[in-house]
Amino acid sequence: MIDMLVIVAIHGLLLLAGYRLMLREDLDEDPLLETEAEAEVRGDRAP
Amino acid sequence: MTDLFLLGFFAVFLLFGLKRPFLWVCLYLYVDILAPQKMGYGPITSVPVSLIAFAAAFGGWLMLDRKTRPTFTLRQAIMLFLLVWAWFTMQGAQFPVEASEKWDWVWKTLVFAIFLPFTVTTRLRFEAAALVMVLTAGAIIISGGIKTVLGGGGYGTLAFFINDNSGIYESSTISTVAIAIIPLLYWFTRHGTVFPPSLPVKLFALGLAGACLLIPIGTEARTGLVCIAMLGLLVLRESKHKVLMMAGGLLLCVAAFPFLPQSYADRMATMTQADEDESASTRVAVWEWTLDYVKDHPLGGGFEAYRANSFTYRMPQTTGTGNMTSTTYEKVTDEGRAYHSAIFEMLGEQGWPGLGAWLLLQALGLIQMERVRRRMRKRADPQLEWLGHLAIALQYAQLIYLVGALFQGIAWQPFIMMLAGLQIALAIYAKRFDSPREATIGERLAAQRRAGAPDAVATGPAPLR
Repeated sequence: MIDMLVIVAIHGLLLLAGYRLMLREDLDEDPLLETEAEAEVRGDRAP
Repeated sequence: MTDLFLLGFFAVFLLFGLKRPFLWVCLYLYVDILAPQKMGYGPITSVPVSLIAFAAAFGGWLMLDRKTRPTFTLRQAIMLFLLVWAWFTMQGAQFPVEASEKWDWVWKTLVFAIFLPFTVTTRLRFEAAALVMVLTAGAIIISGGIKTVLGGGGYGTLAFFINDNSGIYESSTISTVAIAIIPLLYWFTRHGTVFPPSLPVKLFALGLAGACLLIPIGTEARTGLVCIAMLGLLVLRESKHKVLMMAGGLLLCVAAFPFLPQSYADRMATMTQADEDESASTRVAVWEWTLDYVKDHPLGGGFEAYRANSFTYRMPQTTGTGNMTSTTYEKVTDEGRAYHSAIFEMLGEQGWPGLGAWLLLQALGLIQMERVRRRMRKRADPQLEWLGHLAIALQYAQLIYLVGALFQGIAWQPFIMMLAGLQIALAIYAKRFDSPREATIGERLAAQRRAGAPDAVATGPAPLR
């Protein structure tokens, strides 16, 4: 009984986490790193 | 019912991965830690969930995922060497059948640990991978913690999801892993974004940390107590009020002592009476045997070489109570005793080259995380605070593991190899902030597309690589 309750609860959390991750663009594109690369392309950084 | 539930979860996560292939990597982490295929008794036992998850993770990365500057590091090279070396030693293994059984999971562990850093390339991916690892291990730990509170604990009797005292479900191993994830839990309460650090999240983390501390009590694993002591030292290192922390910790121990079961106190007491404890006595005997063994087999005896050991020794047996006790010495013969130490496991099975490579792998991990931590502290960039703190959490998890590994043969433990994979990914990620001008052609083209500057690649200030 305890096992089943814990299994359901944790799998529920994992599904919620998976769903939230699926909706987030920054899972695949890191805003911090993109800023660096974009800044570089724009020539904002000193050589 | 359990089978259908677990299969349903697996299928839904596979569907999530169609939009974000990295979720398949997370799915493999989940499968490899929890082993859901062993939890059921029906259809799930015949579905190769591990193979499907690995194929999806690797195939998804290869065909669908963005590959941001895949870097092959020294630590991955060491893992690759260990993989090849373990295969080599297996060819001359003294116990080929048993050796091939161990090889079956060790090679998968190493291949995945080498592969993981290629996929974990964004901040959110670090969080996702760590979250899935912590929650999945947390399932085992919460269940064990509740049973401990309800009186279901005991040496070798605390029941987990799988009735199998091996892998992460082995009592000392789960005790070590439980304590090792506490620093990661703390990180989530400060830097989590999937579940932002609200009051319920902090309460859950606190509850899970409590369950983690209960696991060594429930399993009565002495290694767990040593790991808790290590965690205490690490907390002291971070604390600004060291004396206050020490006093608080001492007070907590004293307050908790009356609530501990007598069997736990008795078992912990054996740590100071190694002569009278068979497990502790044979440990030392196995270590001595291993040192002798590698004199003849400096390149190791292959997996499961410990099965060759056999030794007879005299052990004191005390009977009676109070002043009426008598001690007699009885001959005890042990055969095929396990190494009870990752260091001697590596030495006996993989010889000096294998042990050297494993130690180097661990040492580099500690050094790299320390470097990241110091670099991030020096930068003092609030946007990168999470990075330095994650380096600390991963370093502390590794230190706790290493202390636990001194007393149990968990050199290849998949959960810890996954942590090593995350460490490698973190070191690569942190390095990119130190040398941002070394962007690859692909990255700069992508940035150019976003910026809408068609000549930016040709005129950019940084040299193309």
